[in-house]
Amino acid sequence: MTTLSKPIKKHSPVAQSAMNFYQQQAETLMASESDSALVAFRQQASQHFAEQGFPTRRDEDWKYTPLNAFLQTHYQRSGVAQVSEADIKSFLPPFEVMHLVFVDGYFSERFSDDLSVLPAGLSIESVKDALDFEQGYTAFLSHEMGIEKEAFGTLNSMLFDDGVVIQLEPHCVVERPILCTYVQTQNEHANTVRNRVTLAHGAQLTLVQQHVSLNEKLNAFDNVVTEINVAENAQLNQVVLQSLNPLAMYFGLQFVDQAKNSVFRTHYIGLGASISRHQNVLRMADEHIESEQSSACFANGQQIMDTRTHTEHQAWWGTSRQLHKLVLDDEAVGVFNGMIKVARAAQKTDGQMDNKNLLLSNKAKVDSKPQLEIYADDVKCSHGSASGQISDEQIFYLRARGINADDARRLVTQAFLLEPLESISSMPMRHWLAEKLMHKLNA
Amino acid sequence: MLLNINNLKAQVEEKSILKGINLQVNPGEVHAIMGPNGSGKSTLSSVLAGREEYEVTEGQVEYDNEDLLEMDAEERARKGVFLAFQYPVEIPGVSNKLFMQTAVNAVREARGQPALDMFDFEQLAAEKMKKLEMSPVMLERSVNVGFSGGEKKRNDIFQMAMLEPKLCIMDETDSGLDIDALRIVAEGVNALRAPDRSFLIVTHYQRLLDYIKPDHVHVLYNGQIIKSGGFELAQELEEKGYDHLIQAYQEA
Repeated sequence: MTTLSKPIKKHSPVAQSAMNFYQQQAETLMASESDSALVAFRQQASQHFAEQGFPTRRDEDWKYTPLNAFLQTHYQRSGVAQVSEADIKSFLPPFEVMHLVFVDGYFSERFSDDLSVLPAGLSIESVKDALDFEQGYTAFLSHEMGIEKEAFGTLNSMLFDDGVVIQLEPHCVVERPILCTYVQTQNEHANTVRNRVTLAHGAQLTLVQQHVSLNEKLNAFDNVVTEINVAENAQLNQVVLQSLNPLAMYFGLQFVDQAKNSVFRTHYIGLGASISRHQNVLRMADEHIESEQSSACFANGQQIMDTRTHTEHQAWWGTSRQLHKLVLDDEAVGVFNGMIKVARAAQKTDGQMDNKNLLLSNKAKVDSKPQLEIYADDVKCSHGSASGQISDEQIFYLRARGINADDARRLVTQAFLLEPLESISSMPMRHWLAEKLMHKLNA
Repeated sequence: MLLNINNLKAQVEEKSILKGINLQVNPGEVHAIMGPNGSGKSTLSSVLAGREEYEVTEGQVEYDNEDLLEMDAEERARKGVFLAFQYPVEIPGVSNKLFMQTAVNAVREARGQPALDMFDFEQLAAEKMKKLEMSPVMLERSVNVGFSGGEKKRNDIFQMAMLEPKLCIMDETDSGLDIDALRIVAEGVNALRAPDRSFLIVTHYQRLLDYIKPDHVHVLYNGQIIKSGGFELAQELEEKGYDHLIQAYQEA
């Protein structure tokens, strides 16, 4: 019997050097770990990474998201964080939250709210604690859902050693949103975070994750994998706000598994980072599941912003909604890639995916690729994509009412970008996010 | 005199369209500009409102003792020139409320008046809407999105009521309207008539004028005003059409 060996991928010297660096980091990490299942898990990832390497522009999914700038820097795992209470406070929204703070990827007990006084039915634990106390803490959900296809997912499996584990017991309804703030404080630092969020049946939660940089000079790298399990009749509302500084790197991957009658809504707000890529993988495995995935991103300068979704309808009466908006100025590059897959068994699926892009400059570029793959015969699915510039007629209409040209453009751009927020039911949350978007637009 | 147009010539993409327009409008007067398709009616409205794709090659326009052609579109609006659009534009995501509050306050600032806060603005808007028999729900909707032809025109009239202009230019505002919508527009205009407010009503048809009864009617043909008269001129056009006037003009 012969084994078919894959053709060996050739990497540039820069990519090879970065690969060697991260593998060395994984070796060091594994040498410090005693949990044999975890070490085996990392070894497998590391081996896979050696074969896979970093994507190049020849990889279809990375054609418009070149990693050159990322590969130049070798991001370290260790260092000494420097951040004050006042810094952390400045990141808080103007509404009540349960605050969990991660400094350079590590859970900070000092800056976080007290975890010993949580509402009944809610448990929160850092992944570091989970690794220390639970034998065999490894993440399988993402495995089933194809994390190994993603280079940054593999890298995350090799290198994560903190994050958060949030669990809600059946029918536990948490009113106050949980806010996870991931703050970058060190230059050339890798913040590799693995989160797991589990809602038992009938549970409800609002989860906000914000990525921020302590100052404008840092060049740091956030690599986040979040595994989410929403059981029967449970409901999770999630917001991811990526407002890192313009030098940062952001790679976020989410794997979401939904059960019968569950609801999952996620909004991604992309503002910062030099290269950013936010990706959802959704499995709607049972009947009457509802999901929403929306995003509002504004890129300028030479930012590259990549948003992608993969949605699998696997059973009857599923509903999925998506609205992705991207505003691009200067020489920014935007990418949207969305796939809705409807299995043969997923009759009466109602899936809608819309991507709209507004280009404010002639040098900005966008690549949009919405896709449908349908195997069932009784479904209602649609996808659309439109990119364009602000209409002169709209601007003239506003000017003819006394509004100056700059304000007119701002009004139209704001309205365009804020639309995906309209499906967020909490007004304070919506206003907070709108303010973040407007702050960058009006800067 | 509010508006004094003197020998105005304008072109678009090097094609000469207005070929020497002379027109004087006093405060409180209602003037109708009529003419066949291609006579230059819409170009005249556009030039007066400040559309940049039209190039003025000769002549002057004096508005309220100032040179109108020196101002850009927003400045004209702030000084009281209002254009009611032939096709009001849809602006998704911008609510009528935000749009009008921004516009009203831009105009108020230019007039040296303090800005209206949300409360005062809403009160003013409610009053004006009531007068125009409009549903307050319109304020919450995106500008003209999903509005019928009649609703869009009515929304323009509402904006006119809010901005309290001195000179209202109605650019074929009656095109594409059924008889009910036409009456609503006309009633809106009549409700806003005032001694210090003048109207320039540009139209192809006489039917809108039946409701508004202008003081003066001018016939535009080939970029020039070929005849002026009172309301009876509009009635004459309705009976005999433009052809006999054009013929008489060409023979002269």
